[in-house]
Amino acid sequence: MEQMQTQELISALADGQLRGDAFARGVELAASDPAARDAWQTYHLIGDVLRSGELAVGSSAPTVFLQRLQRRLQEEQPGMPRAPAVEAAAAPVHEEAANDGSFRWKVVAGFASVAAVAAVVWSLVGGAPDKPVSPELAKAPAGTVLSPGERGVMIRSPQLDELLAAHRQLGGASALQMSSGLVRNATFEGSGR
Amino acid sequence: MHQTQTQHRSVGRRSMVALAGLGLLEAAVAQTGVVYLHAGGGAKHEERSVAEWLERMHEASRRRNYVGTLVVSSNTGAMSSARIWHACDGQQQLERVESLTGAPRSTFRRNDEVVTFLPEARVARTERREVLGLFPDLLKSSETSIPEFYAARRLGSDRVAGFVADVVHLLPKDQMRYGYRIWSEKKSGLVVKLQTLDHDHSVLEQSAFSELQLDAPVRVEKLSQMMAATGGWRVEKADTVKCSAAAEGWQLRAPVAGFRPVNCYRRPAPEGNMQWIFSDGLAAVSLFVEAYEPRRHQQEGLLASGATQTLTRRMQDWWLTAVGEVPPQTLKVFAQNLERSR
Repeated sequence: MEQMQTQELISALADGQLRGDAFARGVELAASDPAARDAWQTYHLIGDVLRSGELAVGSSAPTVFLQRLQRRLQEEQPGMPRAPAVEAAAAPVHEEAANDGSFRWKVVAGFASVAAVAAVVWSLVGGAPDKPVSPELAKAPAGTVLSPGERGVMIRSPQLDELLAAHRQLGGASALQMSSGLVRNATFEGSGR
Repeated sequence: MHQTQTQHRSVGRRSMVALAGLGLLEAAVAQTGVVYLHAGGGAKHEERSVAEWLERMHEASRRRNYVGTLVVSSNTGAMSSARIWHACDGQQQLERVESLTGAPRSTFRRNDEVVTFLPEARVARTERREVLGLFPDLLKSSETSIPEFYAARRLGSDRVAGFVADVVHLLPKDQMRYGYRIWSEKKSGLVVKLQTLDHDHSVLEQSAFSELQLDAPVRVEKLSQMMAATGGWRVEKADTVKCSAAAEGWQLRAPVAGFRPVNCYRRPAPEGNMQWIFSDGLAAVSLFVEAYEPRRHQQEGLLASGATQTLTRRMQDWWLTAVGEVPPQTLKVFAQNLERSR
């Protein structure tokens, strides 16, 4: 009986129908009682499903669905945590943010790896034509992601790559295609990672 | 077979035209190893001058909206591609370039204003590229050097990304620049494929649309909104400053044939270099000059990557890095002519 009252109260809260004391009671209940919180989530889930036609397609009629959902809800142990699934999904995002400090390194690494790829295809004037830096590098098709260890052998420096990029950005725009520099940068420059 | 018989039967002008066509066809085959389809009344297109061809191609990029996938490959085997959205409304041109290979990156350009989004670092880089707006003036100005240094010849027709295109060969008139083979969409003039050619006509680099939607529903406002959506991104403003080579204390002993200075920029420390940009209307050369540091600047030489050449050289207390889509000897001439003016 009490369970039903809780659910009705939460339902009204979810629908935004509560005012004043009732609203305060609803919020308090939703915050303190696990069963109420479950109900709160369930009503929102129901709302989501009802609002989204795509989710509703192919499923049974809303009333049948609701009944099934309520039955499952009542069968479920009160206090069983439902949140973890959501938290697990969100976790990687937090990790990403924590990585922010290493941005500089990433940029440098980006340039370095581009240099490693480019080293394969560059030859020094006067020397033997297309003399490979190392057999492994020579075999790697350009644009391949090289492991950090392979970055050690390269003729080109990150500074040189920055100049190349600068040339393409500011000077490499040919009259033939306004975006040639843009595209080269968007494609070749980034091909190392 | 049928054409040969026709030639035998008819006399005079008609066979002359057919022969002229065959000659051209042979030239096209000899140069590329590919037979271009020959349009019946193609002769009249061949009369377009280099300036007319370029003007047409440029106008197409200013007037047409399109979406396509551009594939760029070099003679070294490197291949990469990008998705391009292009929209224009007469006043402004907007472009979105999304890299499909390598590190994810999307670049937006509104006229000369550029924003590059680097999702891995959550960084948005903003900068201006004044060079981009220069081209129409280069063509119209009386001192334009393009027709003086390049000749245009129509090779025939070909199909690229489902569109029939005129194939035009831009031949350099001297050894200081590369040639180009350009596929220009027949109706609009839009460049759908471009090859940069060495002096023996071998392909150094090529870019082509593998798929293209001309007059696609791309909207300037939509791209503008996306370009402005830097919220949640760390915005880095390029700290390049406009300068003049003379004020920086540099000059060319003699001009390099066809190349005119178009811009000069200075980057503050730590890079601390000057970038002096030259263009002959089609190809660009950047001269980067910075203070010589024995630890960093060791490798003097000449390097090649696709159509892009790089020359590095020590000049007393300075270190020069010349970069351009030009033959190595052109960079050498630049290096020889560059000197301190004070």
